[in-house]
Amino acid sequence: MRIDYKLNDKLDLGLFIPSLILFGIGLVAIYSSTLHNPHASGNFHKQFIWGLGAIIMFFIFYSLPTNLFKSLAIPSYIGSIALLLIVLVIGKRVYGAKSWLGIEGLGFQPSEFAKLGTIMALSFFLSRKNTDLESFKDILIALIIGLFPVLLILIEPDLGTSFVFFGVILILLFWKGISLFGLFIVLSPAVIAISSLFGIYYLIASLVLVLVCLFLFKKDIFFSGSIFALNLASGFFTKYVFDILSQHQQTRIKSFINPWADPLGAGYNAIQAKVAVGSGGLLGKGFLAGNQTQLQFIPEQWTDFIFCVIGEEFGFIGAMIVLGIFLYLFIRLLKIASSTKDDFLSLTIIGILGVYLIHFIINIGMVVGVMPVIGIPLPFLSYGGSSLVVDMMMLGIAANVFRTRKNYT
Amino acid sequence: MTQGSSLFGRKSVIYFIIVAFFAVLVLRLFQMQILEYQFYNEKSANNSIKAIEQIPLRGVFYDRNMNVVVSNVPAYTLRITPAEYNRKMNSTLEAVLGEKPGYINKILSENRIYSRYIPVRIKRGIDFKVVSWLEENAEHLPGVDYIVEMQRDYPAGIRGSHIFGYTKEISPKLLEKYKGLYEPGDFIGYTGIEKAYESILKGKKGYKYVLVNAHRRETGEFKDGKDDVPSVKGNDLVLTIDSDVQRVAEQALKGYRGAAVAIEPKTGEILAMASAPDYDLSEFSYVTSREYLNKLYTDPAKPFFNRATQSANPPGSTFKIMEAICALNNHIIDTNFTTTCTGGQTFFGRYFKCDARHGTLNVIHAIEHSCNVFFYNLIYKIGMEKWHEYAKLFGFGQDTHIDIDDEVKGLIPSSQYYVKRYGENWPKSIMASLGIGQGEVNVTPIQLAQYAALIANDGVTYTPHLVRGYLTNDTKKLVPFSFKRIDLGIDKKIFNIVKEGMYLVVNGSGTAAGIKSKTIEIAGKTGTAQNPHGKDHAWFICFAPYNNPKIAVAVLVENVGFGATYAAPIAKKMVEAYLEKDKLKNEEQNPANSFDNKLMGAKLEN
Repeated sequence: MRIDYKLNDKLDLGLFIPSLILFGIGLVAIYSSTLHNPHASGNFHKQFIWGLGAIIMFFIFYSLPTNLFKSLAIPSYIGSIALLLIVLVIGKRVYGAKSWLGIEGLGFQPSEFAKLGTIMALSFFLSRKNTDLESFKDILIALIIGLFPVLLILIEPDLGTSFVFFGVILILLFWKGISLFGLFIVLSPAVIAISSLFGIYYLIASLVLVLVCLFLFKKDIFFSGSIFALNLASGFFTKYVFDILSQHQQTRIKSFINPWADPLGAGYNAIQAKVAVGSGGLLGKGFLAGNQTQLQFIPEQWTDFIFCVIGEEFGFIGAMIVLGIFLYLFIRLLKIASSTKDDFLSLTIIGILGVYLIHFIINIGMVVGVMPVIGIPLPFLSYGGSSLVVDMMMLGIAANVFRTRKNYT
Repeated sequence: MTQGSSLFGRKSVIYFIIVAFFAVLVLRLFQMQILEYQFYNEKSANNSIKAIEQIPLRGVFYDRNMNVVVSNVPAYTLRITPAEYNRKMNSTLEAVLGEKPGYINKILSENRIYSRYIPVRIKRGIDFKVVSWLEENAEHLPGVDYIVEMQRDYPAGIRGSHIFGYTKEISPKLLEKYKGLYEPGDFIGYTGIEKAYESILKGKKGYKYVLVNAHRRETGEFKDGKDDVPSVKGNDLVLTIDSDVQRVAEQALKGYRGAAVAIEPKTGEILAMASAPDYDLSEFSYVTSREYLNKLYTDPAKPFFNRATQSANPPGSTFKIMEAICALNNHIIDTNFTTTCTGGQTFFGRYFKCDARHGTLNVIHAIEHSCNVFFYNLIYKIGMEKWHEYAKLFGFGQDTHIDIDDEVKGLIPSSQYYVKRYGENWPKSIMASLGIGQGEVNVTPIQLAQYAALIANDGVTYTPHLVRGYLTNDTKKLVPFSFKRIDLGIDKKIFNIVKEGMYLVVNGSGTAAGIKSKTIEIAGKTGTAQNPHGKDHAWFICFAPYNNPKIAVAVLVENVGFGATYAAPIAKKMVEAYLEKDKLKNEEQNPANSFDNKLMGAKLEN
């Protein structure tokens, strides 16, 4: 092995520097949005301390032996499930969801850690030699591994995080090489589920679409029939799931369909967020000068609506800089994933990319009004210790794979 | 994408998905921030919704006859919104408000922890002249406004300083304690009934939604007020106080230090509770002047101190009734038992005086003449244990659990107490002093009033209280509170014996014969609390009418000497204020009279 003393060869600055910049921008936005809020004035300092902890975690995961991750896959999955079960029993309720574990004043969300555990377990299963994604059985096992934590998280109930899991499962199956028909089996129930929320006509129309697809795939009648039954079940099951969702999540979904229906309630955040971003214009209103932010039109803006601060105070230019850094980071992760020949590591990194990507799309999509208001944080920027720490941990794993890439290529 | 597609192909797909999503977000941001900038900017500037707090009316107090004794009147408050305010105006505003230079800066810096967009209350209760000046000069005074708030008013001509209590802007400490329930600038009951019944009185805040511009200036109603939440008025309280009795007690105590408490024996309802000196609650209704507060705090007579529940003094001879009941109820004596008074007697080597040579007396006449020798002998017959037991039974040495805060327990010594203080061989001569309610024994006026009520109603009453219940907001129906029943379980016959003695105190040749009334039969007992620091304190307890007690009274006047001279006349005035009014009402309700009146009216109309 050739020894290269250049730092850049070991530590992938293309991962580390962008994440640091994003964290720094997040700090600036948190400072701005909490300045006039006496209840949140300590958040800037707290986030700063969490950030230092997260960087330490990055370097720990960066320097661990790479082959350790594979042996940790199953234990960390089981640990995640255990934590999710514990949080359901003794967890602290925050904003209607029982998703927090408190340890000596520090709260953390096990669902954040479960993301990593599930990615690794699923990657482990998919990278086994005898796993065959053409077999219905293996697809089912993969789905069970991925959806079991989702079930526990839905009970909390935390809708946003469940979406992240769905996306991650999908991207991992896809990366492993699932066929178009396999993808259809996995995706169609989800499409049916979402369309059922819009009303009975949408549900019927999408069921007809599924029938057409099944006809085109030309599989045998029993197989096609059972898949259609699965879709039908998903359509009606959604109604049931919707009912067990907490009040605030139901109204959020409803208000996405028509935000002006309840401008003081659930639609309020969506409207005020759009007004904040839109009124930022090209250059923004300037640091600490955004009236929407400073007057606190958006509650808890430093968590899920942090991008509003950037949009309002730093304008289109500021938003483009943040988007650009994310884009660079995502492409970089994709490159590492595709250049790694080890299946497990490649899948793990794609899973990590999936987590960031789905968080990013849902969060910014929500702020600019193309997604419903689903409360999930923006990676590296939003206020919140456990998500920041897990984000940096996962980045540490990616950097670790980059460090030892020559052992696998 | 079929079976054969390579990893590389899949990478392109993901690459494409990422870029596609970015393209959507970039286009959307471009649309919002560049193309539709004007639209959103206008919305941000004009179309934001602000919730304005609607402060609820605080519940008012009625007395037992449904006269309003504490009410609300509107008052003006000047506010400054720091973000919009120009500090150059400080000196002008301070001059208009009549405040010293630096006043505004001081208040603003105290409120710096809150958002600069939240208005700060600068001065409450400002003059109407100042309000019109503000109106005229509004354009030169950005960030300055005034609001109408309600302040407490006391229309009945009674002060009730220690019972009504006052409200005050909530302190940061209490704000922390009741997190989420109160906000800065809210008023909260600080003392008395205002404090004890805060949760019933305070009502519920409402919200009015208005459209505001970027500077939080109102530009109109939101949805024509359809979403507004009206405030809910606090519930009105019905007190047990009789304004007439209270007024008489306050006026009679003027110039003294002391307290007077009147209780309806059958219910435990407090008809009057006064403590002197008192203070003017209307000074507290909004902003309290520092001078007035300083005056109150430095006054050696301690006007904030509620003597009715917080001052403990030896009960003096008023305690003799309790001892008589104890001895009679335990069959230690009966009415045939007598002692002979020769003006004093020696116990355990110490000589104890009596006020006169009373000769041979039984228990009834011993009470009538307050003969010390009789009761010196009695306490040795009863013994410390029984004496202590009965004093506790009558509620001494413990809280009465009256419904307002801050009462003291007083002190009822036991033999253990003396062993602790003076050792195993404590001088038994001490007991002789206790026998006449002197020495290390302390009681409060409220305890003595409850004691008088228990005697009057043959050992049955309720926990003394100041509030009967509250009125529902819609139907004004009284929702009563419940209070604990007290029953000593002592035979009525025993009470009849001591009551006869108390009757003679006033109506015989007893110690308070001076307050004998032609129309009301009052039964009472004088007491004098020895005071090592100055002149003795005067006590008087009584109840009336003798045959069907409707009022029981305890009066304490400090540093004046003998009980009958100062305390008894005050008690008599309170009894008259309550019972003579009853008589008056009976006359008004007399059907014969009202019939005559109607005829009179008819004649006049014709």
